[in-house]
Amino acid sequence: MFKKLLLGSVVALGFTGSAMAETVNILMEGVPDTQFVKELIPEFTKETGIEVNLEVVNYAEMHTKLVPQLVSPQGSYSAIVVDFYWVGEFVKAGWMQPLDERIKADNFDTSVYVPALMDLVGQVDGTTYMLPFYNYAMGLTYRTDLLADAQNQADFKAKYGMDLKVPATWDEYLKQVEFFTKDGMHGVVNQGLRPDPIAMEWSNYLFANGGTYHDADWNPTLNNEAGVKAVEQYKTMIDKFGPVGSASFSFDEAFNVMAQGKAYSYITYNFFRTAYDDPSKSAVVGKVEIMPVPGPTPEQGGSLNGAWGWAIPKSSPNPDAAWTFLKWVESKEIAKKRALAGGSPTRTDVFDDPDLNAKYAYFPALKQMLLTSHNFPVFTYTPQLVEVLGRELSLAVAGEKSPSDALAAIEAEMAELARKDGKLK
Amino acid sequence: MSGIKASAADRRDARFGYVLAAPSLTVLFLIILFPVLSALYTSLHEYTLIAPNFDIFTGFDNFRLALADAEFRHSAWLTIRFVIGVVLLEFVIGFGIALMLNKVERFKPIYYAILLCPLLMNPVIVGLIWRMFLHPNLGIVNYLLSTVGLGPVNWLGDTKIAIWTVIMVDIWHQVSFMIVLLLAGLASLPKEPYEAARVDGANAFQCFIHITLPMMRTVIIVTLLIRLIFAVKTYDLIYIMTRGGPGVATDLVSYFIYRTAFVGLNIGEASAMSIILLTAILGLTAYLYRYMRSIR
Amino acid sequence: MAGIELRNISKVYGNAVLAVDDVSLEIKDGEFMIFLGPSGCGKSTTLRMIGGLESISKGDLLIGGKRMNDVDPADRDIAIVFQNYALYPHMTVAGNLGFGLKLRGFDRAEIDRRIRAISDMLGIQPLLDRKPGQLSGGQRQRVALGRALVREPKAFLLDEPLSNLDAKLRAAMRTELIKLHHKVGTTIVHVTHDQIEAMTMGQRICIMKDGRIVQVGAPLEVYRNPVNTFVAGFLASPPMNLVAGRLEGEGQGTLKAVVGAASLPIPDAFRAAYAARSGSEVIVGLRPEDFHQSPMGDRSSPASVVVVAVELLGPEVILVAELGGTGGPEIMARMPRDFMARPGAMLQLHYDLTQMHLFDAASGTALSRPQLA
Repeated sequence: MFKKLLLGSVVALGFTGSAMAETVNILMEGVPDTQFVKELIPEFTKETGIEVNLEVVNYAEMHTKLVPQLVSPQGSYSAIVVDFYWVGEFVKAGWMQPLDERIKADNFDTSVYVPALMDLVGQVDGTTYMLPFYNYAMGLTYRTDLLADAQNQADFKAKYGMDLKVPATWDEYLKQVEFFTKDGMHGVVNQGLRPDPIAMEWSNYLFANGGTYHDADWNPTLNNEAGVKAVEQYKTMIDKFGPVGSASFSFDEAFNVMAQGKAYSYITYNFFRTAYDDPSKSAVVGKVEIMPVPGPTPEQGGSLNGAWGWAIPKSSPNPDAAWTFLKWVESKEIAKKRALAGGSPTRTDVFDDPDLNAKYAYFPALKQMLLTSHNFPVFTYTPQLVEVLGRELSLAVAGEKSPSDALAAIEAEMAELARKDGKLK
Repeated sequence: MSGIKASAADRRDARFGYVLAAPSLTVLFLIILFPVLSALYTSLHEYTLIAPNFDIFTGFDNFRLALADAEFRHSAWLTIRFVIGVVLLEFVIGFGIALMLNKVERFKPIYYAILLCPLLMNPVIVGLIWRMFLHPNLGIVNYLLSTVGLGPVNWLGDTKIAIWTVIMVDIWHQVSFMIVLLLAGLASLPKEPYEAARVDGANAFQCFIHITLPMMRTVIIVTLLIRLIFAVKTYDLIYIMTRGGPGVATDLVSYFIYRTAFVGLNIGEASAMSIILLTAILGLTAYLYRYMRSIR
Repeated sequence: MAGIELRNISKVYGNAVLAVDDVSLEIKDGEFMIFLGPSGCGKSTTLRMIGGLESISKGDLLIGGKRMNDVDPADRDIAIVFQNYALYPHMTVAGNLGFGLKLRGFDRAEIDRRIRAISDMLGIQPLLDRKPGQLSGGQRQRVALGRALVREPKAFLLDEPLSNLDAKLRAAMRTELIKLHHKVGTTIVHVTHDQIEAMTMGQRICIMKDGRIVQVGAPLEVYRNPVNTFVAGFLASPPMNLVAGRLEGEGQGTLKAVVGAASLPIPDAFRAAYAARSGSEVIVGLRPEDFHQSPMGDRSSPASVVVVAVELLGPEVILVAELGGTGGPEIMARMPRDFMARPGAMLQLHYDLTQMHLFDAASGTALSRPQLA
């Protein structure tokens, strides 16, 4: 009798399940690109009849919310978005479904993605786990009006013997920072808060000096001339050319300094570019432009790459519906609509789209930035590495450790983490 | 009393008492003891978020690792100094304000309401607001200082100042707790000893030293203890305001443990650190409790 | 040692509440003065004004001839014993005793000497190391007294110090206080609402009501000649019977107080004083102890009563009865311990006419008459 009853209720549940419209649940971070997706969702529901429920939270909460759902056999999230930080951990823990078979079956073209992004939040060791969602590569935002000023141009030429123009190399940029630190203006504003802001920003300095995190065998390569120069330059920026307190700024505080017109330049995430032209947030509308962080030579870039990817967790209750949604949201048409709304694209065909280039003059610069950008080391302990970087760089900036001591400490811990992860033999 | 045995009825009453207490005791054990024991168990294993299982028993390795970690020791030492600083300052300020408020008769509810405001705020909000106020260039604090020719002060970006800034914000946030508890204590003191002391020739200061302080001793110890335990757990303010920086100037132990667990993914070692922290707090509590009983 | 003088002292709380109203009183050096009155009569407030714990709204306070209105309590050189003792709970008995001396900068040896002397005198020597929480009520009371005594002040102010003690202890402490006063001879002002304390302890009683002084005088004098029905009804237990009556007739032998069916002739000695009021309503005051079972010559007049109840107290019997017959005003009479009567029985008692008091029916003020020894 009891068994029958149980069976009956299971059947009933099954019926209600299939009778109800399917819902795709996704945990997302509260950022502009999430908003652009949200606005387009009614189109998807109209097309497919599948409801989409976005749970939007702060970045700080995401990881702690995700993990319990990912480790359980049946989680509540149909699809997830993955920061490149977590890729190593999630792959190592085996929490994401490989997408290759679905891609093949539906002929979804992944070759349109910017290769650097596909490496970062797409494929890991030949298996595709994610589709790149949006990028947050870092670029140099700078004041075009100050560059164009005739007096500045003459003074700069007199002082440095070269023209004042959009910097082609890192050294040229450093001269400009020094030059513009005058009359209450700051040449630069930095985001020195540990751990992510300083670690991410400093990575640009490392790459701009031609440095790298590790060699092909994951031997750390930080404590060398490029690394030491990057730390010294970073410290000089904060101490001499930046506003008081930038050693503790997060990106929003640094952005505010720049947006209030108090600094010449700020290396930041490219999605801030649109905010400079928003009069409610910015006093420098139309005066700021973005470009790839200049490298050691005009051909090389110094930008740090960063991105989020879409993925389907192994614990997804309805992976098929989730894939339907991923296919749709990453289609050329929807990706273009998102970009038009202000999103940060990941597809080259979107970057090359004439409508977008007409609307956003800086799109070629963004594409160039992505093409010349460098990836942060992606492995299981990426977040821990960021933590170590944040701590040691912050100590170096505070003058409590010499640059090479700090770099040596980072190298030691990084090597240990890489060894623990099996990357470094 | 020896030689007199409890009667059957007494024993029945005692048994009935245990039966009555059993459900709540069980719930208490499940809610409080279980997580603690679970943390203890975890701390003895190599348990990470990558491999969340108890397959590898490591004994006290996690404890050894934690204690050998210079960063952990730094955080622990910093936390001790932070807690002492915060609790003492809050106590002095809180007691001062409580004494003043105790004399006030009009508009008492209004003062209470104002005082309680910060306490009711979420620490995250407090941190965010103060980060805004303390922005070195755009914040109101440095602006106000500049109007009298001071500053700008690098509140959160200077290794020497940052910890004091955090202490100051924590005081702003939590001092009302002290005030309210101490005020309740003061209000419940009998009036007569004060009158007797006045007649005996005590001035206000002598009254405070010889009458108020001794009579408040129990309240003071309980208040300090509660505040102390909360101060050890300070996490939100650090997370929002400094992330432990600049350098490691504000890297309090709770935030350190959080990172070990959720950034380093090493739940085992983080549990070991928590157990160490718990032991320290328990020891302190036991000591203060015994002290309190001894002065009764 | 010093006398205390209150000149037109008033106490106003807030703007409206008049707690003490224009009180003037002179307490002589070394006198044992009782403030007596029901709760809320202002006696405690007056005491606290003398002690300096309450400010004085109006009037002057002189201690030892010096104006003390604005002098700190500590500098008035008085000691106060509080109703609930107000011991310092965290100090030992010795600490309690020595605290005031310590604050006044006495040296250790002198403090010890005085503590020893006082604790010997009060029999609290064995308690010196205990804390108030470990003492009984009587012991605390002694410590509180000791704390006052040890300072050797000019005056003691006692604020209902015995009211928290049980009856037996209270009686014992009463005697001790009287002895103490004999021994130290210091001015004492003692506030109480207990008329037995007032009668037995004080050299003079100051009776207060509604913030005013009603009557001041030696206990017996107040007992014998209450100025109004309030005092008459307040002192002694059971108090004076106050019954509504009428003055009738005139001339020798005919002027009488009529109470219900009973009529009490006015003694010749009073007749002149009362004659003018003949025909008016009065309140007749008859003390219970002035009813007797046998006549007292021409001083007494027979009075028939109907027994309502008989209260056997042991040493005496209180008879509750209706004066003049069933339905008459109820009175109490104090009878000897062997008195017996059944309720409802009609009795013939004899009232001592020389002890009769008459009060104005409207104001309650005593009608003046010659003092009898």
